[in-house]
Amino acid sequence: MNGNGPATVLAVTQVVVLLVLSPLLIGLMRTVRARLEGRVGGGLLQPWRDLRKLHAKEPLRADGTTWVSVAGPMVLMASSIVVCALTPLLGTVTFDRLPDDLFVVVSVLLLGTVALALVGLDAGTAFGGMGSSRHMTIAALVEPTVLLAVYALSIPVGSSVLSRIVDARLADPASVMSPVSLLSLLALTIAVVAETGRLPVDNPATHLELTMVHEAMVLESSGRDLAWLELGCWLRLAALLGLLTTLLAPWGVVSHVSVPGLLLAAVTLTAKLALAAGLLATVEVFLAKLRLFRVPELLAGSFVLAFLAVTASYLVMPG
Amino acid sequence: MTESTYAQLVGLCAAVLLLSAVLIVWRRSLPAQIRLLAVQGWALGVLVAVLGVHEGDVELSLVALLVLALKGVVLPRVLTRATVTEHGALREETPLVNTTASLILLALLTMLAYVVSRPVLALGSTSPLAAVPVGFAMTLFGFLVLSTRRHAVSQLIGFLLLDNGIGTVAFLTAGGVPLVVELGVSLDVLLVVLILQVLTSRIRAEFGDADLDDLTELRD
Amino acid sequence: MAADGYLMGTVLLLPATSCLLLGVAAAGLRGRTPDFLLRYTGALAAAVVLGSGLALAAAVLDQGRAVTTLSGQLRADALSAFMLATIGVVGLTATWAGAPRRPQPAPSPSYAALVVLFLGAMSVAVLADNLGVLWVAVEATTIATAFLVGHQRSRLALEAAWKYVVLGSVGVAIAFLGIVLLYAATRSAGVATLSWSTLHSTHPPLDPQLVRLAAALAILGFATKTGLAPMHSWLPDAHSQAPAPVSGLMSGVLLSVAFYAILRIQSVAAPVIGVTMMRNMLATAGLLSLAVATLLMIAQRDLKRLLAYSSVEHVGVLALAAAVGGPLAMAAALLHVLGHGLAKATAFVSAGWVFEAEGTTRLADLRLLLSRRPGIAVPLVAAVTALLGLPPFSLFFSEVAIVVAGFQRGLGWLMAAMVALLTGAFVALVRRVAPVVFGHRVEDPDHEDREAVDWSAPGARLPLVLALALAAVAGFAAGPFTTLLTGAARVLSVSP
Repeated sequence: MNGNGPATVLAVTQVVVLLVLSPLLIGLMRTVRARLEGRVGGGLLQPWRDLRKLHAKEPLRADGTTWVSVAGPMVLMASSIVVCALTPLLGTVTFDRLPDDLFVVVSVLLLGTVALALVGLDAGTAFGGMGSSRHMTIAALVEPTVLLAVYALSIPVGSSVLSRIVDARLADPASVMSPVSLLSLLALTIAVVAETGRLPVDNPATHLELTMVHEAMVLESSGRDLAWLELGCWLRLAALLGLLTTLLAPWGVVSHVSVPGLLLAAVTLTAKLALAAGLLATVEVFLAKLRLFRVPELLAGSFVLAFLAVTASYLVMPG
Repeated sequence: MTESTYAQLVGLCAAVLLLSAVLIVWRRSLPAQIRLLAVQGWALGVLVAVLGVHEGDVELSLVALLVLALKGVVLPRVLTRATVTEHGALREETPLVNTTASLILLALLTMLAYVVSRPVLALGSTSPLAAVPVGFAMTLFGFLVLSTRRHAVSQLIGFLLLDNGIGTVAFLTAGGVPLVVELGVSLDVLLVVLILQVLTSRIRAEFGDADLDDLTELRD
Repeated sequence: MAADGYLMGTVLLLPATSCLLLGVAAAGLRGRTPDFLLRYTGALAAAVVLGSGLALAAAVLDQGRAVTTLSGQLRADALSAFMLATIGVVGLTATWAGAPRRPQPAPSPSYAALVVLFLGAMSVAVLADNLGVLWVAVEATTIATAFLVGHQRSRLALEAAWKYVVLGSVGVAIAFLGIVLLYAATRSAGVATLSWSTLHSTHPPLDPQLVRLAAALAILGFATKTGLAPMHSWLPDAHSQAPAPVSGLMSGVLLSVAFYAILRIQSVAAPVIGVTMMRNMLATAGLLSLAVATLLMIAQRDLKRLLAYSSVEHVGVLALAAAVGGPLAMAAALLHVLGHGLAKATAFVSAGWVFEAEGTTRLADLRLLLSRRPGIAVPLVAAVTALLGLPPFSLFFSEVAIVVAGFQRGLGWLMAAMVALLTGAFVALVRRVAPVVFGHRVEDPDHEDREAVDWSAPGARLPLVLALALAAVAGFAAGPFTTLLTGAARVLSVSP
């Protein structure tokens, strides 16, 4: 059902839910990792506490930085919020003029990626430049895979609007288990891991020069800038994980906006995200970070899987 | 078995076959590649069994058992014997075409497989026939592995991948070949692999390692 | 009548079963095999094959139709009988002459068994009615010869064996894909069969696109086994590293058996898709093989490798004959198969004797063979003369007939290219072999003690003499031989 009213309500609800959830998600992942490694960890609420601390501090910007260091974190935050609003996580009601088309979502994500890279470059430090270049290399290799993987899912549906894809999967549960779906979701998982900077592509807890990607870009930021950057990245992770789980298990997503429906959707989304995050954290404990030179191999492999999904979707007859 | 379950099972087996073929080209560790070959053998056996149950053909079900036993159990075991050395498990060195380029080549080869299999697809639109390009793709992937790997066992793996691909095409297009021919073909494949395994061990005894790049003395 | 049928049926089964029994006898007696058996079991098997081939040829010519047994699984028409007889006579030449005479040590049981199984597999291949069984037999020949090629266990032999098995099996696997697609085409036309005789007689409505793909793959695959360029790279290695009698067998008949498979595929596919695509494929392969062989023969350094490239050249001629098509070219091709088999087997056995006598096959190290060791050199010179395509040997007549047929069918430019390349190959081969055999003793006037002229040879010379005589006479033969050739060519004829 289209209509800007319900769509606005849905978008706002999604943004609010994810704003609350994403730091908790990060906290959950860190706790799971810590417990598996035999530590106690900082607790589920530690990311919230970190955000509160950072928000109260004044950002210290180095001499020679420009407006990019001021605007960059805001742009990243804005792009993440738009992605949260558009992706069909709780419901599949779209705006009239701004459908959550695949290309729109990917472009907005890319906007955030570029903003982050520019922030890393702006301070003029060696670490920042290095991190930005690695980040953009990975992004360049990941974009085709994300596009192809979701495109493969869109071919049977006939529309690249994400909400329509989720609707189609809700209507036909068997299509979730089809070979096209499995191949493209596998490719999408690898792409999401690369895009959000998790192991084995990037270690979010390292500060070694050889291994930093994301951490190098935010090294010079502090105070509120850092708070926006961190929250922006956490929102991206939550949104992408949410998209992945919604494509894999679309049950709970509503087609009409109603209070009980949204409530149920939010609860199921929390459960799905918690499960996905826990699984991701568990797997990360056992993975080692890939050498930077072997990351293109991994991404080429995911590209091939997405490509195979596209070709398969043209040929495999619907069951 | 309902038509939709049948189509889904065939599709699932085809996806597993294709995925394992991609992973064989991707992975560099020889024991992992052999495990993937075993997975492929099992998937092919299940595919043949599904086809046999759907057609109600007892012969085909027997052939499914043969395929499972040969390609899922016996051949991987023979290959594993060829990889065990005093240094432990073997790992393939960087192939002649590096992994990233090989993976991109896989995408191109898949397109080629779809083009080549158009005459077969024109035969009809049943679900087994729709999965025939997977077989052709596996054959082409086998060629890629054969021609770009230096280790003798890797070439063997490529040959078996090629053979699995041809077997897939055979079962999907025609329900296999007559039983006599099937038995002969299986025996031939087994003997060829055994011969190559013996040759590998002799090469290793003579040359020190089964890196085929050393075998360049015969040339013009 | 009925008894005749049973008798001929038994004769059909004879090659395969006798080869199996002899092979088991050679290998199974575990060290207590009589010496005679180890040395001559190959010759015995080849003699049986030859006898069966001749008997079947007589029966087919007499009855005017094919002999079948095992409910049609084994089938001998004129072509099969001719091929069987060729396998027999070439096999007999190679195994009898190549058998080590006392006091040399007898070959190992596994060697003897593998040679016999090799002959048996080839016999089954030409007698099989089912294309799938034909495929299995051709792959079986690869399996049987794998360890024969690597017999010496030297580094070079292992390398040659590896390349041979891998390339041969990959090529044959492609051929299997083609056969599978052909089976699928027959299945969709309603007559699921792989029997070429059924396909010939009933002409089911096969899908042309699918048969085109199937025929292309099958011919490509069997062309690898035949040694046609560009898939020939295993041939010089394998045929030069194998023991001489085995090389003679492989060059002499195995290549021809793979060529026979191409001919059968062509005759099955041509009614459905016409001859154009297959003609183009075979013509390209033939010309390329001739060119590659000529170029690489010019600078060869090893005698056996030189002979192997000569095999590539002659297989190229066969491919061109198949490309031309028609009764004259086909009959000429079959005559060429016989002549080349006999000459090549003789040449390889003589080369093996050269190695035993001189200790090397490097062309640079061999000199004055005709003066010093005429017992070995005379068969070699005669065989090379035959291979050069000089009269009175039958290869001359078969090559001329192919050229004439080509001009008759409008492929004059192709034949002109073939003649040019054959001339080049002639020059190359003469240039390489002449210094080995010819030369005057007066090169070294200070050399006092004259080596005695050695007329002996390490093996039996009678089979070589008989083989060369047969090759000389075959071009002039008439009567039943010509009837057999034309009958065989007619089997392959394609209605225009």
